[in-house]
Amino acid sequence: MIITNIENIPGRTVTEELGLVQGSTVRGKHIGKDIAAFFKGLIGGEIKGYSDLLVEGREEATSRMEGHAKDLGADAVVNVRITTSSITGGAVELLAYGTAVKLSPANG
Amino acid sequence: MVDFSSQIDEFDKALAEMPEVMQFFFGGNFYDFIAGNIYQAIGIGGLGWLIATLYERRHNKQMAEREALLGDIKISTTKHIGSNAASGVMIYGSVVVAHDFFRTLIIQFRKIIGGNIKAYERLVVRGRREALIRLREDARLRGFDRVVNVRYGSSRISGLFINAVELVAYGTGIKDHAKTNISPKS
Repeated sequence: MIITNIENIPGRTVTEELGLVQGSTVRGKHIGKDIAAFFKGLIGGEIKGYSDLLVEGREEATSRMEGHAKDLGADAVVNVRITTSSITGGAVELLAYGTAVKLSPANG
Repeated sequence: MVDFSSQIDEFDKALAEMPEVMQFFFGGNFYDFIAGNIYQAIGIGGLGWLIATLYERRHNKQMAEREALLGDIKISTTKHIGSNAASGVMIYGSVVVAHDFFRTLIIQFRKIIGGNIKAYERLVVRGRREALIRLREDARLRGFDRVVNVRYGSSRISGLFINAVELVAYGTGIKDHAKTNISPKS
């Protein structure tokens, strides 16, 4: 599965659009990470625990979107957008959405 | 008026019964205890502020070094991929940053007046720069020559105890045909 955020796939031709696909996840870290974040907050800078949380969450959202696209029989997802929003303390929602497309067979 | 003096006396008695180590941290009487708390808060806050300032300076220096190494990975915000593109995949770079405790406190007062909140400006600018560097490093790692259609995003991350800002940069990494090859379309 190829995922891009432009309207086509370099080197391939889009033959059919299959419509919107999306994947979302709401994730949190265990309390230990929140406590670690509190102590990191005393000196500021990067909060690694939350950085990891968002990277994992984004992977999860993207793979759910891929699953949705596979169900439709797509070869690729184009024009993908991602959004993040904070639902409640210690939990974030990540959403990835795009257009599932079918590609012409690869010409070697 | 409620008279607190009896409570204060009880507090002092309780302190006197504690082991000496605790008295060292808590102080001898109620007023020492309160003053100690304030000194500790200022001490921790001030130390945090100092470390944060040093960290920020070091981080800016490091980012300048990393940017110098990534000069050959071109960034574009347009969707135009050119005729030489061979393949492309979406990539991300993200970072979560937060202010130190002391600055957060100062900012609360600064927000009453309004205007430019310089401390936050610096924080998001630094975070966004870091996110873009991570995007380019990821592009380098996966062997892409350039990144097109780069978009920025930012959102507030509220943890259980602190608030932080997430800065993300994402785009499509493009691998070009080798330069010796003549593009098939031209």
